[in-house]
Amino acid sequence: MKKLTAMLLAMAMALSLAACNSNPGGASSEPPANSQSGDADPANTPGGGESSGPVSDPNAIDDNPSTADGKYEIAMITDVGDLKDKSFNEGTWNGVKLYAANNGKTYKYYRPANGNEATDDDRYNAYVAAIEAGAKVIVAPGFLQAGAMRKAAAEHPEVNFVFIDGFPLTERDSQDDPGDVLANVAGIAFQEEQCGYLAGYAVVKEGFTKLGFSGGGGGDNPACCRYGYGYVQGANAAAAEMGVNVEMRYSWAYGSNYSPSPDLQSMMQGWYSGGTEIVFACGGGMFSSISAAAAANDGYVVGVDVDQSSQSDTVITSAMKGLEQSVNFALDKQFTGNWADISGTGTSLGAKDDAVGLPTATWSMTKFTVAEYETLLAGIKDGSVSVDADYANLEQSYSNLTLSVES
Amino acid sequence: MTFLIRQTLIYAVPLMIVALAGVFAERSGIINLALEGIMIFGAFIGVLFVNIVQEAGGFAGAKADGDWVALQGFALLAMLVAAAAGAVFSLLLSFASVNLKADQTIGGTALNLMAPALVLFFIRIIVNQNVLDMAMGDAPPWFMLRKTTLGFSRTDDLGFLGETFINQVYPATYVCILLFIVLSVILYKTRFGLRLRSCGENPQAADSLGINVYRMRYAGTTISGALAGMGGFVYALTTANCSANGDVAGFGFLALAVMIFGNWKPLNIAGAALLFGLFKCVAASYTSIDINGDGVCLLGEIGISVHLYRMMPYVITLVVLAFTSKKSRAPKAEGIPYDKGQR
Repeated sequence: MKKLTAMLLAMAMALSLAACNSNPGGASSEPPANSQSGDADPANTPGGGESSGPVSDPNAIDDNPSTADGKYEIAMITDVGDLKDKSFNEGTWNGVKLYAANNGKTYKYYRPANGNEATDDDRYNAYVAAIEAGAKVIVAPGFLQAGAMRKAAAEHPEVNFVFIDGFPLTERDSQDDPGDVLANVAGIAFQEEQCGYLAGYAVVKEGFTKLGFSGGGGGDNPACCRYGYGYVQGANAAAAEMGVNVEMRYSWAYGSNYSPSPDLQSMMQGWYSGGTEIVFACGGGMFSSISAAAAANDGYVVGVDVDQSSQSDTVITSAMKGLEQSVNFALDKQFTGNWADISGTGTSLGAKDDAVGLPTATWSMTKFTVAEYETLLAGIKDGSVSVDADYANLEQSYSNLTLSVES
Repeated sequence: MTFLIRQTLIYAVPLMIVALAGVFAERSGIINLALEGIMIFGAFIGVLFVNIVQEAGGFAGAKADGDWVALQGFALLAMLVAAAAGAVFSLLLSFASVNLKADQTIGGTALNLMAPALVLFFIRIIVNQNVLDMAMGDAPPWFMLRKTTLGFSRTDDLGFLGETFINQVYPATYVCILLFIVLSVILYKTRFGLRLRSCGENPQAADSLGINVYRMRYAGTTISGALAGMGGFVYALTTANCSANGDVAGFGFLALAVMIFGNWKPLNIAGAALLFGLFKCVAASYTSIDINGDGVCLLGEIGISVHLYRMMPYVITLVVLAFTSKKSRAPKAEGIPYDKGQR
């Protein structure tokens, strides 16, 4: 009996290992051996693309390259959520990989300990690990990084920090005595209210009248708040033009760590079966719970940050921000010696920089056309359509929109 | 009302089947604390199976043709794979507690600690992130039964019963309910069931009548593992969009509570699971529940704090447990390794 059991267990183990290896989507490919040394060598040039021009598909680039000397020039510290969250982290990471692959830089990502419950100390340790591994520039998405980045940046003035979705930092976190602005931190922010506006406008023009917004971060994330407020304004503007009234349910519930949960799925089931037609899934991994509920009820979803239409048939459009472009923008400044342009300042990228928008390549709306979208986008660019970014004004009375905020 | 019943079933069914898994183990004399771990492992293997089959292009044709019978076959197959994985995983517990006579509580706890770590380890190897999703699309279009899949149009009204029990349901739910009934009957009305229960009450007496206690205990734990593995996959399918992340939100432990709360008896367990499921559903979606169909969501409008609703399932569990625990009686020999010499 003992032998039999031992055999069975061994077989179970072997089978599960075999299952992993046979998965074509797996990261089972061996990192190519790198016999050369020196920082400037690309750690991994995918598919022998050394001479075949620029790489454009981020998925073709290795996520876990290794260099002979263990040094990596570009480091990324992930925000809460997974690296491959098909949203915020992944967009940033793709930007890093693309820049590195096309410019022959070495790169590596660091995930702070304790996952979604990471503290400032955990993040700080990740920064230290990155710097010890030779990072010259550290890309970090997410405003939660501020505390750890302040500490790391003050201690390591020789390393530059790109703070995606962030702002310039001062030496101390104090209103009265902030000290000097840290010159090695560049804050890159987006005008999310603009792409939120575009999405809200588009879906109402498309004919939806019962909308929903489910946001991540519990209402504390400025980016999500701007998305939501823009979405409301856009929906209201379109409704006013069409002379209809729309309703919107607006909630931060079950989104505090941007991850899917059975509770969120139940709540969304409730929304969709209660008549809500389309929900803006504004928070990374939350998407999966919302799209499941939408699919069950023949509803629709608006994606966030990147084009999410490949993930689910329920996605009708996505409010995108150019994470890749912004990373490319900042890394380019770093490596061409123009860091001073963005040093110690907050750069806010919006429609005028082509850093926000809806995905036109996977357009699936029929009543609202790409041409109409281009016109609207041009209006935002030249300022004839103004979008308010101050989300403290969210709960006002709108002309054609009934907003019900749920806890 | 329709919505409430549907959602309650979604929460209650995995709980019910996993609690029954606990009953099978404990009635044979093995405390199966590892339910949570086995669920996690079963969910992972089930999702992995779905992922691999989809990746290889299996059932893509059936999906495109809307052949829901074939797709349900796929779901059933995945459930079986998850059950097999759960059964194999539970052998670790049986081996430790039957052959090695180890402390069952510690053995179960070890499996609970091991499963999430092991599963996350594999998921990270496979997809380089913490969540393993289906290879394509969402779970409902693949595995859910809807009006449209059955040939009705979106606007047809199927009446209360039709809307509640045919539209937007996972047949996996009904498979579990059926299995629950069949296994309950087996436990109480067959020779095998009687023998199994006797091993949990007085294994010495059972042995003296020629019953192989070791074999019975292996059988009990293996059935338990299979059910828990299947329950884990059904949980992942119905509440997590068919994804695995090394976590089942404590449903395995809740199932243990439901089992104790249901006094190790299937009927009571079903009741307890439904009660818990109901409150869980109310907690998550109280703002959308319209009981009498007049378009007013009463619970959302009376202004009770959301935190109160979220506490409710657990508070109710405590209260009911307080009232029922006096009468509750665990199988007498559970947790005691069987020793032939001790007659």
